[in-house]
Amino acid sequence: MELEELKKLWEGMNGKLQQQEQLTRNLLEEVTEHKYHSKLHKIKTSELIGSGICFLGAVFLILNFSKIEPLAEQIFAILAIVLLLSLPVISLMSLKAMQQMPVSTKTYLETLTGFRKSRIRFIKFQRLTVSLGLFLPVIAIPVLAAIKGIDLSETEHFWTLTFPIGIIAFLGFAFWVLRSYTKTLKAAEQLLSEIKN
Amino acid sequence: MIFRNYRALIGRSLNFNMNRKEDFTKAILDYQGLLYKISLLYTDNPQDREDLYQEMVYQLWKSYDSFKAFSKLSTWMYRVALNTAIYQLKKSKRTVATTAIDPNLQPMAEYSDQADEENLKRIYNQIQKLNLLEKGIILLYLEGKSHEEISEIIGLSKSNVGTRISRIKEKLKKQLTTK
Repeated sequence: MELEELKKLWEGMNGKLQQQEQLTRNLLEEVTEHKYHSKLHKIKTSELIGSGICFLGAVFLILNFSKIEPLAEQIFAILAIVLLLSLPVISLMSLKAMQQMPVSTKTYLETLTGFRKSRIRFIKFQRLTVSLGLFLPVIAIPVLAAIKGIDLSETEHFWTLTFPIGIIAFLGFAFWVLRSYTKTLKAAEQLLSEIKN
Repeated sequence: MIFRNYRALIGRSLNFNMNRKEDFTKAILDYQGLLYKISLLYTDNPQDREDLYQEMVYQLWKSYDSFKAFSKLSTWMYRVALNTAIYQLKKSKRTVATTAIDPNLQPMAEYSDQADEENLKRIYNQIQKLNLLEKGIILLYLEGKSHEEISEIIGLSKSNVGTRISRIKEKLKKQLTTK
């Protein structure tokens, strides 16, 4: 079948979609009476809860900072506080930026290019947060132990075995995560180059 | 006197809102087929399809006043609807690859001729395999839009639109003959 024939068939679809009319009328009633709320503008509850937990964790570490004594643990605690405060802020900010929707002022091509670019930025950022998020439990163990008053140097094989194993496991897992994100990133970048050609 | 003016103002405002609503309802009902087709092409499951349809109507209502800046109501409508489809991808799609066909795809329209319906499904499947830019262009082409209007909606030059359409047609033709 030729494309021109299909074009006619396609155009003819409009008149045959009668069953859609009642649904559309109901929806129009909701939309024009302001009873419909966009789902695109919502930041997911899970993301907000996650950010809240991070902030609470940071507050907990700040309040207990005086209990952390050895210098190494203090450095870990500062790192953990910085991560717990900065990652959710950056994440919420990037989500907010993605929600800007100039639907009528931008052309399709501009929207598409913007979408791809923000998607690439978002994937790169996710890659970073997942890696750092995995790093967090590794540094949190000595910090929490210090707060609880446990001296890890007295724990058998902690610094010589448990901690290095934790680091190796983190590196292995981070490598796996980075590899899977790289695939998605490549797909996004390839589409961006297709748009430009 | 002030009270009478105030009442007249409220009356005019109510009238304006009523007319606005009526005009908008008419516009949407006239173009509901287009919205339905976009929601079919840009989603891969019934839930996302319904969400996109609702979101397009909502975004069109929200930006209804902006259509005056466009030469045609349809141009504005296509632009808002297609842009919303892209933004919806941010929400529903985690991958960038084009969607696979939904095996439970509902009949797109009541066609008396079984062959027509089959052909339409075939082309729908092939369009699903195109990238997002090609998908937008071919949708407008199939809708019978001129190169000028496609250029205004998509944001490519008229000549570029022509070139792209030829390339997509070739691609589709190849896909349709090999299937």
